[in-house]
Amino acid sequence: MTPHPNPRRSMAPIFWLMFGAGGMLSALFGPALIVLTGIMLPFGLGVPGGFGDYSHVLRFAQNPLGKLIVLAVIALFFWHGAERIFLTLKDMRAGALPILRLATYGVAAVLTLVTLALLLEIGF
Amino acid sequence: MSERRPYVRAQPRDWWARKPYLGYTLRELTGVGVVVYGGILLAGLISLARGPEAFEGFRSFLTSPLSLLIHLLLLAVMIWHVVTWFQTMPKTMPKLIANGRHVPQQKLTLAGVGIAAVCSAALIAAFLIAGALP
Repeated sequence: MTPHPNPRRSMAPIFWLMFGAGGMLSALFGPALIVLTGIMLPFGLGVPGGFGDYSHVLRFAQNPLGKLIVLAVIALFFWHGAERIFLTLKDMRAGALPILRLATYGVAAVLTLVTLALLLEIGF
Repeated sequence: MSERRPYVRAQPRDWWARKPYLGYTLRELTGVGVVVYGGILLAGLISLARGPEAFEGFRSFLTSPLSLLIHLLLLAVMIWHVVTWFQTMPKTMPKLIANGRHVPQQKLTLAGVGIAAVCSAALIAAFLIAGALP
């Protein structure tokens, strides 16, 4: 049998890759990030109070490497959750698949673009 | 009378809230916690882009008891995500063979959680060291 000259490609591996990347990133650094941004920086525990200042955080977000970290964390966390929530809602038979896709992948895609736009707006 | 009448096992609509599926549901729900935390970071980025006043508002939210409660809850969810992530990992990868023997899945899970603990500890240590520098 000859292979189909123009097979229909599935989009699933792309979503799966984003799911895996976000899952691994959050598994490796998620607990530390929550402790840092949710407890240590706001309350000045273990770090100088100035670490969470507007000017300090702005400089981090203006740095190209800082921008990449912010984009990777926010976007990949959204894509990771989107895949999980989509598959779970699908298993729960919560609604029509196009609607579920829009509510999960769609939201993740929009919020990724919003994050990207904000990082560009903040400038270098 | 020769029509097929296959047996269709009834599945209650709330199957996901019952054992043995409850563990699966709780694992998948960690995705919601990951998304909520991403949302908090995005809210911070939005206020950062809006300027110093908006960012101060975000910071004062972060110091509220509600925010602390949310973050402690998110931390618990995230730790459950770490454990279940590395419980799932050995099942999704090719069997690992060392010295002619299969490496048991439990060992891979333990190694994964260990690596995650080192990564998280290193990130916090980096901030502690940076904060202690003059």
